[in-house]
Amino acid sequence: MSDTLFPKLPYKLKQRADEATVNIQLQQFVNHATYSKDVARKQAMGGAFGENTDAVRDLAGQIKQHTLDHLDHYLEQFIDNATATGVQVHFARDGEQANQIAVAIAEANKCRLCVKSKSMVTEETHLLPALEAVGCETVETDLGEFILQLDNDAPSHIVTPMIHKDRTAVARAFQRELGAEYTEDAEALAQIARKHLREKYRKADLGISGGNFLVAETGSVVLCTNEGNGRFCTTAPRIHVAFVGIEKLVPRLEHLGVMLKVLARSSTGQPLTCYTHTITGPKREHEHDGPEEVHVVLVDNGRTDVLHEDTREMLRCIRCGACLNSCPVYRKIGGHSYGAVYSGPIGAILTPMLKGLENYTDLPHASSLCGACYEACPVKINIPKYLIQLRRDMVQNHLSGTGDRVTMRLWGESLQHEWSYRIGGWMQKTFARMQAKFGGTLETDDPYASRGWLTWAPGPVKGWTQERDMPTPTAKSFRHWWRKEHGR
Amino acid sequence: MQKTTSDRSQLPTMGEGRAALLARVHAALGRDKTQAPSEPAPVVDESIARLASSDADLPALFTERAQSVGMKVHRVSLEQVVPRLRELLGQLEARRIGVAAGSVGERLELELDAALQADGVKQIDWQAREGVSAQYDLDVGITDVHAAIAETGTLVCCSGSRSSRGLSLVPPVHIALVRVSDILPDMIDYWARLKGMPNTELPSSQAFITGPSKTADIEGELVTGVHGPGAVHILLIDG
Ligand code: SF4
Repeated sequence: MSDTLFPKLPYKLKQRADEATVNIQLQQFVNHATYSKDVARKQAMGGAFGENTDAVRDLAGQIKQHTLDHLDHYLEQFIDNATATGVQVHFARDGEQANQIAVAIAEANKCRLCVKSKSMVTEETHLLPALEAVGCETVETDLGEFILQLDNDAPSHIVTPMIHKDRTAVARAFQRELGAEYTEDAEALAQIARKHLREKYRKADLGISGGNFLVAETGSVVLCTNEGNGRFCTTAPRIHVAFVGIEKLVPRLEHLGVMLKVLARSSTGQPLTCYTHTITGPKREHEHDGPEEVHVVLVDNGRTDVLHEDTREMLRCIRCGACLNSCPVYRKIGGHSYGAVYSGPIGAILTPMLKGLENYTDLPHASSLCGACYEACPVKINIPKYLIQLRRDMVQNHLSGTGDRVTMRLWGESLQHEWSYRIGGWMQKTFARMQAKFGGTLETDDPYASRGWLTWAPGPVKGWTQERDMPTPTAKSFRHWWRKEHGR
Repeated sequence: MQKTTSDRSQLPTMGEGRAALLARVHAALGRDKTQAPSEPAPVVDESIARLASSDADLPALFTERAQSVGMKVHRVSLEQVVPRLRELLGQLEARRIGVAAGSVGERLELELDAALQADGVKQIDWQAREGVSAQYDLDVGITDVHAAIAETGTLVCCSGSRSSRGLSLVPPVHIALVRVSDILPDMIDYWARLKGMPNTELPSSQAFITGPSKTADIEGELVTGVHGPGAVHILLIDG
């Protein structure tokens, strides 16, 4: 697992992407699941907000941007207010420190069994092995994450972690690891998981969660889940620890009225997640159930580097997954190809920021810049703009390959003068048509329309011809035709 | 052990410490100490964000939306609550249940107690034992709600001295008693209601329940009841 999301650096995307594009099963699942979610999002957002859809995305984006612009103020507010309700707030510079905090809590309380709900931050910090190393058995309780844990696999989507797996994989995992009878019935599989995990909730003495939002004004942690495991993990065990990135703040409860409305709709097309849970402090004296201790670990892990003005907007992300679902590249290469915890368009800009651009030079190029992600994003992060900004940074810092640089330089030069542009065009046309002629695919009747097909081409064009044939230019150019018809 | 308010300022903090984190935040924001925002936080513009208003037929809207997320709604008068509950519990073959429905009225609680005894349904005393451990072998949890939200078909269940976090989560079936007067048009109205309340008085848990427990992790097929209740029934009480 560790290798999937934490590959050897610098990471090259090509091998995994190549494997993914010929994995027909993966192509079908990912394509189908993302496509249907993309449709659901459009219907849910448009259905609810109508002509205000764009305006509500603006508003949600402004709320997050304002919070980030004043993150010092809102963090201090949150810390004071959470502490006033009895929450213990801790500060983690990086993943390792965050894990140390959780381990210290587990050890101080002699915790033996931890139930964990889905959290991307704990994936970042790689928390699970750290807890297991000190003898605290840790169970993922989100159904998808649970299955991935049994299979020693890693999540490939922010919201639907198991998007790359089918029911037979689940059936086999349950048979092998839980001794369950083999069944491909989704209902029966869910019941097997329910039974198994209930026993864990019953015995667990530690619950770990993430957090979708932190409310500065009240010190509350907001958790959105559909299965109810998030509520279980924060209700049944005596101690609850929430790992939350420092960018998750909103100023006041009322802002949830906007953020929650766009989150679930953009994510799965639901009006709200089945369970949207606001936690404000541990169980109070007059209450009967709930954790006696609540800890919030505020995790930086590279975020303050992204907070600089040029890239601050990236931190608006509320991890809805809409940009992944809408992305033609994500659909084709799947989440694991991004070689990091965050995949898809947001991963393509966030990962280089968090883990070093020099380590992920392929990611800013893993996009056709079609803009679908920007259009999908409920907080209007201009992802294409940042992809271009990162590409520019790569050139300026000499991080792009020599081949790329030479090609681009030549191309740039040849476009400077009419004569060089013409010669370039003529050479391209002539070689392409010659090759098509040898391939026997060239039509020659109409010089302005007839084309041939290239089944193979060298260099950077190879990527195209591996997948599909490439049309050649026509025999005579448009410019030629224009001169002939209009005499100029 | 419950922490008292007095020792809260001394709650232990681990990791790098508040000042170290804030120093990096300040550096990124280009200042050397925390500054209060020069402009107010964006207001929630209701002409954009509000999706239901009080002119709507709230019980009808709530019913429609709650049904569309998979909850079953039964509209009843106050007198019908107990008979309808008995009927429902009979259909569900419930043997052991937990009830936390104080806000719907003591008379109803007494009536229900008597009726359940007659039917041989055992009510557990969930308040007697701390935590949710007593709730795992229940067939049904019955709760009132702190509010309901029409626009999304949502039940708001909060923790408190007379309510339980677990009863709406742990048993396989949750029955919620909602009075028509509990229904608010939009989530915006719920937050407005809490405005100005000190955070130490907010319930420690506010759960917004919008449907039975769901997952679509297995090939996108929708399955209910994976962790929480697989069925949610709402008795929508007139008045
Ligand atoms: S970048 Fe926008 S669309 Fe993508 S996950 Fe984040 S909030 Fe959602």
